[in-house]
Amino acid sequence: MSWEILKFELRYHLRQPLFYILFLIFFFMTFGAVTSDAVQIGGALGNVNRNAPFVIMQLLLVMSTFGVLTTTAYVASAINRDFEYNTDSLFFSSPVKKSQYLFGRFTAAFIVSSLVYLGVVTAIMVGSFMPWLDKERLGPFALKPYVFSYFALILPNLFLFAAIFFAVAALTRSLMATYTSVAAFYVAYIVSRVTLRDLDSEKIGILLDPFGFSPFARTTRYWTVFEKNNNLLPLDGVFLGNRLLWIGVALVLLGLTFAFFKMEVGSGSRKKKKKAAAKEDVLVPAGVAIPRVAQHFGGMASVRQYFTTIRVETGAILKSLPFIVIMLLAVLNTVGGAVFAGPIFGTRFYPVTYEMLEVIEGNFFFFAVIIAAFYAGEIVWRERMLKLNEVTDTMPSPTWAIWAGKLTALCITLYFTLFAAVLTTIAVQAAKHYHHFELGLYFRGAFLILGMKLLLVTILMFIGQIITNNRYVGFLIALFYIVAQVVLDALHYQHHLYQVFVLPDTTYSDMNGYGHFARPFEWFSLYWTFFAAILLIIGHLFWVRGTETAMRIRTRVARGRLGIPAVTMLALFVIAFVSTGCYIFYNTNVLNHYTTDDQRDKRSAETEKLYKKYDRIPQPRITDVQANVDIYPNKRWVDIHGTYTLVNKTPQPISDLHVVMLPDVPFSVQIAGARLAKSDADHGYFIYHLAQPLAPGATIPMAFTVTIHHRGFENVSRDNTIVANGTFINNFATFPHLGYSPNVELQETPKRRKYGLAPVVRAAKIDDPKAQLDNGITRDADWINLDTTVSTSPDQIALAPGYLQKEWSANGRRYFRYKTTSPILGFFAYLSARYEVKRSTWKGIPIEIYYDPKHAYNVDRMIYGVQKSLDYFTANFSPYQHKQVRILEFPRYAQFAQSFPNTIPFSESIGFVADLRNKEDIDYVYYVTAHEVAHQWWAHQVIGADVQGGSMLAETLAQYSALMVMEKEYGRDKMRRFLKYELDRYLAGRGGELVAEMPVMLVENQGYIHYRKGSLVMYELRDEIGEDKVNVALRQLIHDHAFEQPPYATTRALIADFRAVTPPEKQSLITDLFETITLYDNKATAATVSKRADGKFVVTVTVESKKFRADDRGKETPTPVNDWVDIGVLGASKTKGNEPVLALEKHHLTTPKATFQMVVATKPDRAGIDPLNKLVDRNPDDNTRKVE
Amino acid sequence: MLELRIEGLSKTYSNGVKALQDVSLTIPTGMFGLLGPNGAGKSTLMRTIATLQEADSGSIALGDIDVLREKDKVRRLLGYLPQEFGVYPRITAEAMLNHFAVLKGIVNAKERRDTVNALLQRTNLSDARKQNLSTFSGGMRQRFGIAQALLGNPKLIIVDEPTAGLDPEERVRFHNLLAEIGENVVVILSTHIVEDVSDLCSQMAIIAGGRVLMSGDPQAAVRELNGKVWRRVIGKHELEDFQRRYTVISTRLVGGRTVIHTVSDAQPDPTFEPINASLEDVYFHYSKRDSQAQAEAA
Repeated sequence: MSWEILKFELRYHLRQPLFYILFLIFFFMTFGAVTSDAVQIGGALGNVNRNAPFVIMQLLLVMSTFGVLTTTAYVASAINRDFEYNTDSLFFSSPVKKSQYLFGRFTAAFIVSSLVYLGVVTAIMVGSFMPWLDKERLGPFALKPYVFSYFALILPNLFLFAAIFFAVAALTRSLMATYTSVAAFYVAYIVSRVTLRDLDSEKIGILLDPFGFSPFARTTRYWTVFEKNNNLLPLDGVFLGNRLLWIGVALVLLGLTFAFFKMEVGSGSRKKKKKAAAKEDVLVPAGVAIPRVAQHFGGMASVRQYFTTIRVETGAILKSLPFIVIMLLAVLNTVGGAVFAGPIFGTRFYPVTYEMLEVIEGNFFFFAVIIAAFYAGEIVWRERMLKLNEVTDTMPSPTWAIWAGKLTALCITLYFTLFAAVLTTIAVQAAKHYHHFELGLYFRGAFLILGMKLLLVTILMFIGQIITNNRYVGFLIALFYIVAQVVLDALHYQHHLYQVFVLPDTTYSDMNGYGHFARPFEWFSLYWTFFAAILLIIGHLFWVRGTETAMRIRTRVARGRLGIPAVTMLALFVIAFVSTGCYIFYNTNVLNHYTTDDQRDKRSAETEKLYKKYDRIPQPRITDVQANVDIYPNKRWVDIHGTYTLVNKTPQPISDLHVVMLPDVPFSVQIAGARLAKSDADHGYFIYHLAQPLAPGATIPMAFTVTIHHRGFENVSRDNTIVANGTFINNFATFPHLGYSPNVELQETPKRRKYGLAPVVRAAKIDDPKAQLDNGITRDADWINLDTTVSTSPDQIALAPGYLQKEWSANGRRYFRYKTTSPILGFFAYLSARYEVKRSTWKGIPIEIYYDPKHAYNVDRMIYGVQKSLDYFTANFSPYQHKQVRILEFPRYAQFAQSFPNTIPFSESIGFVADLRNKEDIDYVYYVTAHEVAHQWWAHQVIGADVQGGSMLAETLAQYSALMVMEKEYGRDKMRRFLKYELDRYLAGRGGELVAEMPVMLVENQGYIHYRKGSLVMYELRDEIGEDKVNVALRQLIHDHAFEQPPYATTRALIADFRAVTPPEKQSLITDLFETITLYDNKATAATVSKRADGKFVVTVTVESKKFRADDRGKETPTPVNDWVDIGVLGASKTKGNEPVLALEKHHLTTPKATFQMVVATKPDRAGIDPLNKLVDRNPDDNTRKVE
Repeated sequence: MLELRIEGLSKTYSNGVKALQDVSLTIPTGMFGLLGPNGAGKSTLMRTIATLQEADSGSIALGDIDVLREKDKVRRLLGYLPQEFGVYPRITAEAMLNHFAVLKGIVNAKERRDTVNALLQRTNLSDARKQNLSTFSGGMRQRFGIAQALLGNPKLIIVDEPTAGLDPEERVRFHNLLAEIGENVVVILSTHIVEDVSDLCSQMAIIAGGRVLMSGDPQAAVRELNGKVWRRVIGKHELEDFQRRYTVISTRLVGGRTVIHTVSDAQPDPTFEPINASLEDVYFHYSKRDSQAQAEAA
């Protein structure tokens, strides 16, 4: 009998379209992710094989989160089908046993849910055979990873979800309660992740993750490309525990369902209704006459009918349970996002309004879309679901009043949710003692911008429901719409003119407001609103009134409704839609160039193919730059008139000048006696042939003008540097240059293969003598003098490197002339904004912070950081070469700080809104300031050659310098936490490596190496040989190489300086830290404590130490341990990373296993090897263990 | 006097079911009973008159209104109570009725209040006016349905199986209410309960299989059959035999024994006793005749 039910159920489910629809959706989503880079499920793949075991596991795991919904659809239908179709009495009176009924249906639902996931599995298998895929990114086919992932990851998850929601469905017998519990499940999950994250023992958090994400993430967190391509998740330890735990939970739930389920007709709530009915009055009432009334139709009466529909429908949504539950979840999620907004090194932002708006968009908007999708279905179907449609459809209200009333009600509800979101974030702001409530900005950001996006999505969902006239197909249309957006983008169909209802992004900046993002947003909004109006008229024509649902008849009815008013409106909206479309097209494609990502890639590839042959051909070098730069902030224009002085520093005469410029930027060059021999504006490459070759040592002036005039608006704003308030441009992007620039080259291997380019050479070999003649910043200049006049609108201050010579006003504009007094690198910037200025000094040197008055929070911190940095650097490295330090704020369109001579542009979002009120938090404003000031030494005094390791000389040394400044201020304990972040980011970074990981000294401009690993290795070096010795070496480097002419220094010089100060027995440290990729796997295997008679504690700890060398793909080879390593004992602490150090001894380890004894005065908590995580260890948490 | 004329109305559903086949009826002012078994096409007919459904062919005229085309005009005169209907959860009876009143075009607030009050009172829901509709019993819900159908003094009232789910007392009250209103307007009452028609209706039609079997005055139909209906008590095992030999129009159990009715001009045999014809016999008689005709045709 059970078998019969199972067969019947399976046949039933497999006959339903839902199964095939889900299967196809899963198939195509996965197929997209496997076969293109644009569809991403669970993060970019980087250099990992597309069919790597890691990818298979990750895809299936991520897709299994949707399983909560798909599985629920099946288990809920298994239970509720009978109640919905009133067949429950049939079933329950038949001789089916409860166990057969329940388990037959459960098993069938579980099997069908599992079958849906074969869509994912087959999509990866099939996808990996697609001919267009890069063969280099495909591993050999193996069945094992699929089988493993399906059975170990997918099936236990689905079994658990099925059990949970089967229980809810069976015991509540309410579809609404079941789906509400799904939402609750997701939120409970998110909340529990956030809560458990800070738990002392991560193990519990990992065990308690029902999706199995945590064990997966934790095990694979630092997997290298090699491991991702070859390894499966080992089914043991916490992962096995996790799987068994949740299978157990599922079994218990099934048992409970069986115990409490009653084979009865009807539900509890019906009994309640009977009770309520009992107090009915049975007396026959007096025959009151029914008054005669006047009925009104059309005109104002229709308007009244529209409003009453709005009122009733709004009430129906606002009072319904799922709405309340989803809202609660959304608000909860928003609070979480708002409280933890924007952490950098664990330090959060001030809850500024634009940040709160981003939280609303990130954490709340999704829920609002769910509400829109769900209630679009509800509201269109409400009467029919309640079987009330025959009543309302025969009422004499016009059709438009009904659907428009419903749509308006839905929109009002959604605005209500946005309002709730705004109130939530305002409450968070108040709770954080942030009282600058920008209600106008809230109105604009939440109601106008997010509201518009939500409105359009809502209309789409609403129309989808009307046209398809099937709730589930309507929902699928919504899903399809979301998938289609991603796919269109992936296929490089990126124009917002045809990305239906997709509005361009807007970024708000305190400095520049919505700036130039506002206009395209407004026009596209208008455009799509007209389209929505067209759809609504079509929806009106097809609105089902009555019981006819056949498309044939609906079309007939629609034709009947297509009267003169409908045709007129349709025509008007079509005209409006087309004309706004034309206007937009004129702006995006006529006034501006519309290019897609792949067109730009293609152009880069062409440039490389055409002109790479000129790489490093001898060219004169720029020695002096004179430039007049006129910035027109409101028009977003910049005019540049400049002159270079070029000197032939090569031993041969030069007859061709290769001038390069960014494509699409109008410019002209005047060189006396030169002829334009080649002009390729598309690729920005021009060759001027000199009538008289430039003799060695000879000089020639080169004059040029550049006009950057933004007109109209673009499809996607690509230039966010010239803006109304907060212009920040540099000469790389706006001035012409000499010689081929490798900056155009595509970096990602797959893209390069696609365009037939050889694998990228990110940096020249360290010993390449030709490349050593160029510095790592500019190839067309060594050291230059800059004399520049910059003008701007009268309300703004314009700045450039150098010292202000003169400031004046003319022609209603403000002029500033800046001049350098000592040579600088050929890299400089111009900024213009309405600045507030705060001034201070350090030993007579002025310090100036140019900032936006809206956020002065950390300005003093920056000044203090500059002072402390100058203290340390001048004391330990060399004198400061400039007579001023300026920090200049620029809008948050870019997020970095950058050091130019005496001038440090600093993004609004990095330091200016960091909330440093909690003294426990890492003061990254101070750190970034110190790092950038350090660049005045590391880059602006010592600049490395344009070869491997170049960025180590600049970035790694700046990191070290900043660490020292920070440590002096905050102490060593704080550094532990900072370095923990650095370790984490380094290990994560190497997992995402696209080409090859390099040792630090050969770094090829890889951020995770020169910054993150740089911090770790420099700190470790300092720890081992001492700060003084390190600084001696650095002073030596400055002494030998500061302000040098070509050939430039390489890391060989630095490493030699380090070796010179390192004692002989520690020389291998230099090899480990800088010359190789060395990793450790240290762990404590036993730790015991006993109390001595004198009250002290004896701790005995056994540790294991393994050491590996990794190749550039992450493949590890063991290497003998021969290191001085910390063995230590820690006390207890509430926050992780803050444990007091009770004992710390350096021991020379030469065997893989060793036991140590230490005596401490206070009660120990943990003990182990390298307890402060100074070494690069992929699993730093097992270095210590609790003492027993 | 308003009159509803249905001529040659046919409707076939996409699944091939012929719900209406060439139906022609003239329905005068007053109560009109539409009698027929489940699936006879009553609901299709009523929904078509109520503008909810399209017809394949034929016409319906309400006075000079073409019902199939001028749906808006029909809706202004219509009060409709479908066989089955639900209500919004979490809304009170009064608020819902008020909402419906606006949809019916009663935009004057005072008039609306008065008419809502009166209807609640007449349907005996005054005390439950502030109660959520979702807590209503089946009977209360049905009464609420009647109240909404009567909003706006409709000239054409269509009620589909209105007494289903009402207890006997409520049924009586409902009949009284309908009778009172039905004096001056067209009321179409669809039912499969014969007493509803015999109690209330001055005109009726019997439909089955989408066709009109008879239409006219129920009393006259009963008179026509008088003296032709015979009754006999038989053993359970004899039923098949009797059905073969006589035109058995109905079989029922009375006190555990099988009682059959036959129609015959003369007494079939002395064991049959004559009885007065009832409307029920009329109904069964026409149904029987029709099913025999169908069987012969097949």
